[in-house]
Amino acid sequence: MAKAKIERSQKLFLKAMKEKFAEDPSATSTVFARAGLEQSPRKMEFLKAGKQVELARGISQYDPKRCHLGGIPLGQRQLMTYEVSGTGVFVEGDDLHFVNNAAMQQMWDDIRRTIIVNMDLAHNTLQKRLGKEVTPETINEYLHILNHAMPGAAVVQEHMVETHPALVDDCYVKVFTGDSELADAIEPQFLINVDKLFPQKQAAALKAAVGKSLWQAVHIPTTVSRTCDGGTTSRWSAMQIGMSFIAAYRMCAGEAAVADLSFAAKHAGVIQMADILPARRARGPNEPGGIKFGHFADMVQADRKYPSDPAKAALEVVGAGTMLFDQIWLGSYMSGGVGFTQYATAAYTDNILDEYTYYGMDYIKDKFKVDWKNPNEKDKKKPSQDIVNELATEVTLYGMEQYEQFPTAMESHFGGSQRAGVLAAASGLTCSIATGNSNAGLNGWYLSMLMHKDGWSRLGFFGYDLQDQCGSANSLSIRSDEGCIGELRGPNYPNYAMNVGHQGEYAAIVGAAHYGRGDAWSLSPLIKITFADPSLKFDFSEPRREFAKGAIREFMPAGERSLIIPAR
Amino acid sequence: MAYKPQYGPGQSKVAENRRKFMNPDHKLEKLRDVTDEDLVLIMGHRAPGSRYPSAHPPLAEQQEPACPIRKLVTPTEGAKHGDRVRYIQFADSMYNAPCQPYLRSYLEAYRFRGIDPGTLSGRQIIECRERDLEKYAKDLINTELFDPALTGIRGATVHGHSLRLDENGMMFDMLQRCVLDKKAGVVKYVKNQIGEPLDREVKVGKPLDTKWLKEHTGMYHSLVGSAFRDDAEYVEYVQRIHSLRTKYGFMPVE
Repeated sequence: MAKAKIERSQKLFLKAMKEKFAEDPSATSTVFARAGLEQSPRKMEFLKAGKQVELARGISQYDPKRCHLGGIPLGQRQLMTYEVSGTGVFVEGDDLHFVNNAAMQQMWDDIRRTIIVNMDLAHNTLQKRLGKEVTPETINEYLHILNHAMPGAAVVQEHMVETHPALVDDCYVKVFTGDSELADAIEPQFLINVDKLFPQKQAAALKAAVGKSLWQAVHIPTTVSRTCDGGTTSRWSAMQIGMSFIAAYRMCAGEAAVADLSFAAKHAGVIQMADILPARRARGPNEPGGIKFGHFADMVQADRKYPSDPAKAALEVVGAGTMLFDQIWLGSYMSGGVGFTQYATAAYTDNILDEYTYYGMDYIKDKFKVDWKNPNEKDKKKPSQDIVNELATEVTLYGMEQYEQFPTAMESHFGGSQRAGVLAAASGLTCSIATGNSNAGLNGWYLSMLMHKDGWSRLGFFGYDLQDQCGSANSLSIRSDEGCIGELRGPNYPNYAMNVGHQGEYAAIVGAAHYGRGDAWSLSPLIKITFADPSLKFDFSEPRREFAKGAIREFMPAGERSLIIPAR
Repeated sequence: MAYKPQYGPGQSKVAENRRKFMNPDHKLEKLRDVTDEDLVLIMGHRAPGSRYPSAHPPLAEQQEPACPIRKLVTPTEGAKHGDRVRYIQFADSMYNAPCQPYLRSYLEAYRFRGIDPGTLSGRQIIECRERDLEKYAKDLINTELFDPALTGIRGATVHGHSLRLDENGMMFDMLQRCVLDKKAGVVKYVKNQIGEPLDREVKVGKPLDTKWLKEHTGMYHSLVGSAFRDDAEYVEYVQRIHSLRTKYGFMPVE
């Protein structure tokens, strides 16, 4: 048989295969022990818990031995564990459902509760309209007041109710600027220090992009955004910002200039993490369906932490993106049920996608001299159809052959949509990193899908395949309603709005184009800086490690309620 | 010039098999003789010998509107009689099962009338009028399109197409609808396609040997069959389709 064009002797997924399965990973047969639920400690825990729930409330609950297929419980095949890719941590599949994983919940909470608000407009109002003096000292005082007020404390009025500080301990505001002098004058506790957090070249680019502007990175309480919705974030934030300006600058609470401050805080100076969606989707801003892929690639910070490994940086976006867009957005907001987790986790478990992606890296280095470990814009290949075709074909064929040569890998990704997403993601990431062009990456994705479908005469499911069979035609079209640059596409883009196993990967393909060039950001320098903040509950530089911590119950989230409920 | 279907590219045995399956002029090789009654049992839609339940009166008894399309299209037998629309669904192992999901849909579109195929990764369903279905199902089960060990007739809980085979060379089935009778060497269905136990076993024949399967499969596989990479013409064809769609949308011109 013809062989892959690059030899990789150390397959990244083999460790996971050997841990998961007793047999040789290349064996084509096994004995299905039909050991049932008993083979899974987590399922047994569920059984016990379900029984306790039933006893406590008098209504039946978890009862798989009766309810699953009329008495045939899960576990007729081996119930596999999964290695969260890049972490070495093995977890049970159940622990990667967002309901069972506090880190996953917190990742989304941290995005939804974030808003970025410009301060220049307000400072102009204060200085030019009211003749107030704005200095670093007044800004620091304002930030003290704001960090008192933002969690839900009063600053101006008498006889006000307030929120319990320990229930809102995750809420705070920091600022950032490209002005080094001003940054030096801001109290360190309130500053997102771009120089310290980013590699030198990226820091310089970010500071140049932000310029002398001053921006507030606001994170309202997790509990608030959970009880309300993403649209609340800017409103909650704006109210507390307005009150803090009144307090810090001794303004009249009712004077007309306050309206200017409110307008700036609510509208003119606001960067939402996600756009409002059309009526048929019916979601406000800061909900997952409105996050542009370029913005999501900026939220994830692995490129900042691992600037010499754009593949890893992109794989972290895949993990974070499939969790958010597949498991939470499509899986629950849009669809309901629990099935989407199974699709999504394939892209960030067992190092299978990692292996195929690094194969692509080896290939572009060997064949095209792209020094991917030294991201730069100079050695990027022109995004021609020939290059895309060659890279996507080679990576897809390699991946298909690995699934074939190692049947346990195929068994791990037992669904066609899982395999399709993984093969196409590896192809798209490779094209993106080689060319520095996100649309070339998307085009590679779609060729992979066609190649896969013809090779195996199967792909995903009905709807899954739809967008992939249209995608060649829209990936390099920029006509309205037919195309857009990858950075500005998002989960609600036509054809993308419905199917699992795509959106997180698309976001990663977009990010990869920039990570491969060594860019400081993909779409927004403001969002890139905001999510670099180490005070956030979720570490956006290591999403997969955070998910693994959540799965083994070592992640401490916000949103604590034990203070206000009976002790157990 | 009259349209002449090409049925697909490729110079490999797999590509040839695909073209053969799709081409209605190719007579599918008959390998077994599962009876009408046995088919009805496996599908589980009605009791053998019972009348076909109907969704509407026979067309001849209906007041059909004057419609040029109705004049053009001859109704199938099932449609004429007003039969219900029912289904048969297959799971095809990736270890050289003869037929594979997209290939099934393509060949059914070429060979059958009045059908609604649905294509997924682990299963493929065909829905049509009940008496038409029974006729088509005979072709799908009694011919070279079917292997008793690697092709499953599964209405629900289809998991298994990508799993390793069991120690008897059978595709995994959570419900064990069919089992290998080791003594007789034949596969027999003990449950219908949605997993309800049958009153009697239905034998569907001996599993085909690996050499035969490798020669007759419609799927590329670098470990147990032929590698897709080795069929250069096929790979180039896919690249070409993709390039044309990228440049010209769905109206490719060069």
